Amino acid sequence: MEHSKKVQHLFWRAGFGLKPNEFKVKSRFKIPQLVDSLIRQAKSDSKISEKNIRLFSEADRREMSKMERKELRRKGKKLTLQVNAEWVSKMARSGNSAFLEKMTLFWHGHFASETKLPHFATQQLNIFRKYGLGNFRDLVLAVSRDASMIFYLNNKQNKKQSPNENYARELMELFTIGRGNYSEQDIKEAARAFTGWTANFRGQFEFREKWHDYGSKTFMGKTGNFNGEDIVDILLERKETARFIAAKVYRYFVNENINSNHINELADVFYNSNYNIEKLMRAVFESNWFYDSENVGSKIKSPVELIVGVMRTFSVKFNDPLAVVFLQKALGQVLFRPPNVAGWPGGKTWLDNATLMIRLNLVNYLFQATDMDLKVKEEFEAQMRNNRVAKIKAQVNPQMLVDLFKNKKQGEQIESMSEYLLQTQYPINTKLIEKYIIGKSPSDKIKLTALRLMSLPEYQLC
Amino acid sequence: MNTSRRNFLKMSALASGSALVPAFLKGLPGDIFNPYDGKVLVIVQLSGGNDGLNTIVPYRNDLYHKYRPSIGYKKEQILKLNDELGLNPAMAALKSIYDQGQLSILNGVGYPNPNRSHFRSMDIWQTGSSATENLSTGWIGRYLDNHCQGCVPHYALEVDDTVSLALKGREVSGFAMGNPKSLRKTTSGQFLKEVAQSKHHKDEHTSYLYKMLTNTQESAKYLYDKTKIYKSGIAYPNGRFGKDLKQVAELIIAQTNAKIYYVNLSGFDTHANQKGQQERLLKQYAEGMKAFMKDMKQNRRANDVLVMTFSEFGRRVKQNASRGTDHGTANSVFLMGGNLKQQGIYNDIPSLMDLDNGDLKYTLDFRNIYATILRKWMDTSPSSVLGQSFESLNII
Repeated sequence: MEHSKKVQHLFWRAGFGLKPNEFKVKSRFKIPQLVDSLIRQAKSDSKISEKNIRLFSEADRREMSKMERKELRRKGKKLTLQVNAEWVSKMARSGNSAFLEKMTLFWHGHFASETKLPHFATQQLNIFRKYGLGNFRDLVLAVSRDASMIFYLNNKQNKKQSPNENYARELMELFTIGRGNYSEQDIKEAARAFTGWTANFRGQFEFREKWHDYGSKTFMGKTGNFNGEDIVDILLERKETARFIAAKVYRYFVNENINSNHINELADVFYNSNYNIEKLMRAVFESNWFYDSENVGSKIKSPVELIVGVMRTFSVKFNDPLAVVFLQKALGQVLFRPPNVAGWPGGKTWLDNATLMIRLNLVNYLFQATDMDLKVKEEFEAQMRNNRVAKIKAQVNPQMLVDLFKNKKQGEQIESMSEYLLQTQYPINTKLIEKYIIGKSPSDKIKLTALRLMSLPEYQLC
Repeated sequence: MNTSRRNFLKMSALASGSALVPAFLKGLPGDIFNPYDGKVLVIVQLSGGNDGLNTIVPYRNDLYHKYRPSIGYKKEQILKLNDELGLNPAMAALKSIYDQGQLSILNGVGYPNPNRSHFRSMDIWQTGSSATENLSTGWIGRYLDNHCQGCVPHYALEVDDTVSLALKGREVSGFAMGNPKSLRKTTSGQFLKEVAQSKHHKDEHTSYLYKMLTNTQESAKYLYDKTKIYKSGIAYPNGRFGKDLKQVAELIIAQTNAKIYYVNLSGFDTHANQKGQQERLLKQYAEGMKAFMKDMKQNRRANDVLVMTFSEFGRRVKQNASRGTDHGTANSVFLMGGNLKQQGIYNDIPSLMDLDNGDLKYTLDFRNIYATILRKWMDTSPSSVLGQSFESLNII
C-alpha cells in the first residue's frame, strides 16, 4: 500500500480526513511523527466556550412564570443546536486538532446521554475534551458526576429510601465491564453506592448526604461502606473492563469485525498502563495491523464523518450554521440526541434506502445550494425540494482542490483525484466518470470530477 | 453478475410478471424465499401517547368520572360496546368495524417498569425490548434479519420519508416511501443508474452499498408502477393519514409483494385541552380504518389483512389542571382484520382502584401480542425475533 494511503487512513480514523492542502504536506512525514503530533495537538486544545450560555445557566427558574420558563426552554433548545454546530465547525477546521474532536465524538457515543440544555451539552463536551485522552478512571468519575448524565439516567431520583438502578446498570452494561460480568444483585448494590449523587439545573454536581446510603454493600464479592468511587475502582480492577473498552475502541477506530489477538494486545496495554487512554490510542495507531489492507476503507462513514469530510474538502461555510443539524437529522445522527443510552450502533445500521440516497446526493445537493455557476443542474439525478436547498445554502470553495489537481495530465486527473477522495484500494470505473465531464473549463472539470467521485458508493467508506 | 446473465434474469423476470426477480435472486441465489405468502400485516402507530381511557371509556366506573370531571365522557355520549366499556364518540366509524366482527380490543397492554418518556417508550415498543434493555434493532427489523435475507427490499414498507427503528435490522431494513413519485424521481437519475450497473469491488461494505443502491432503484420503479394498477374509489378522510392508508390499500390490492406496512398518525400528546384535539385525531383514525377495511372487503382481501394499532403509552388516569392528561402507562391495542378468532373486547381494562402512582397497572405484555402475530400470522418462532419466549394469545 502507498504511504499516502496509510496517512489518509490515519487521518480518516483519527480525524475526519485531510483537506486538499494538507494531503501533500502530511504525506511527507512518517507515521510515528504524525501520531505524535496528532496526540500533542489533541492535548493542547482548549475547551468549548461557555460564554454564550452563561446567562442561560445562571437563570433562576424558581422566580419564573410558566411562560418565562417555556421561553427559556425554547431558547435553550436553540442554543443546544448552536453548541452542536459549533462543535461540527471545530471538526471541520484545519489543523491537527481533529483527533481531539474525533475522540470527543467517540466518548459522546460511548457515554451517550441526551440533553436539550446548552450548558449541559457544553459541560459534557468539556469533560470529554479534558479527560478523553487521560485516565479512564477520571473520565468515568467525571461522567458519573456530570449533570446531563445524572438527569438522563435518573440518578437525581436515586435515593437511599428508593434507589433508582438506571445509572448503576448502564455504568456496568455499557460504560465499563459489559454484559455477562455482573449480577442483578451487583446492580442493586452499586445503585446504593451512587445514592445522593445528584445535580442541579445549573449543571453543578451535588452530593446529598441525606439521600446517600452509608450502609454496608456487597459488590462483586467485596464488602464495605462503598461509595460511587469505590464501585468504579472495583470495576476497573477487573480486566474485563479493559477488554471491553479496547474492543469498543477497536470497532470504532479500526474495524467492526473484531480480531481477538489485536484486542487482547490493546487490553493488555490499557490495563497495564492503569487505564491510560492516550497509551491505548497510541497502541492502535502505532501498530502495524492498523494499516493492514483489510482495515483501510472498510468502515461506513457515520453521518457526522461524512458531513465533516465534505466540509473539509470544499471548505464549506453554511449561511445558516444550523444547516449541519438539518443534515444530521436527514442522515440519522443528531449530536446530543443519541437514539438511547447505548449510543449510535453504527456500521450498516446507518443505511437504509432513504439515507443512502441522501448520502449519494449530498455533494450534489450542496452544489445546488450554492451560487456556483456549473450549469449542470439538468443532469442531476435528484433535485432537492427548494425549501430544503434553502436550508443548506452555503459557500463552497473548491480552490484548494483545483490547486492540488490542476497540473495533472488529462488522463491522470480522475485517477489521482480518486486517490485523494476515496479510501477504496481498488480501481474505480474512470470511463464512467469521464463520460459525465465534458466540455467544461479546467477548473470546472475538477469540480465536476469531485462531484461524481463523491457520488459513488465508495465515497461512503473510510 | 455479467451482462448476459443479467439480461437473462431480466427476461425471465418479465416472463414471470415480476420485474423484481433479479433483486431477490441476488440475495439468495436460486431460491425465492417468500414467508407468509398472501398475508399482509399493517402496523398503525399513534404517536404522542394516545389517551386510552378516553378511547375505550369505562363509562360506568365512578372513579373514572371522579378522576376526570371535565374531560370524561358521560354514558349518553359514548358508543356503547358492552355494559362497562364504550368508544369515544368520535369513533363511530370504528364501531361499525366492531359490529362487523373485524375488531379485537386488547386492554391494559404495557410492560414492567414503564417509562414515561415518549422517545424511550416508543423505542421499547418499536424494538420489542424490556424497559432495562437497549436494543438498536426493531422487532420487524429482526424479523427481516432472521427470516427475510432473500426477500424483496421493500418487503416491509414504511409510508414515510425515513425508516423507523421498528423496521431497522442489523443487515436488512425496511423501505421508506413517502411519495412514490418523488422516490422514483430521486432514484432514476442516469448517472447513479450507470453507477449501479458498473463493476465494483466485492468486499463486504462496497457490495452492500451497491446492492442497496440497485435494490432502491428497482424497488422504486416497481412500487411506482404498482401504484398505477389500482386507484381506490373509496373516500378516505382528508389529511396525511388518510392518504397514507389509501396508498397502502392500493398497493395491497395491486398485489404488491410488500407484506408489512407501517403507517403513522401523530399528535396525541394532549397535555392541555385534550378533548377537541383527541377527537379530531380519533375521528381521522376511525374513518381511515373504516375506508381501509371497506376497500379490503370489496377487493376480497379482508381475510389476508391484519392491522395492529398501538401507541407508546396511555395517559394518567387523573386529568391535569389544563384539561389535559400527562404521560401514563398501559393502553389499549387494536387488532383488525377478517381473520380474528376472538372478536370484540378481549379483556377488561385495568382496575382504576389499584393504581401505581396514579397510573394503570398493565395486565398484558405487548410482547405477547407481537409473539402472537409472529407465530400465528407470520408463521415464525417468536423467540427468534424477541430473544425470549412469550406466550401467544388465542386471538388470530
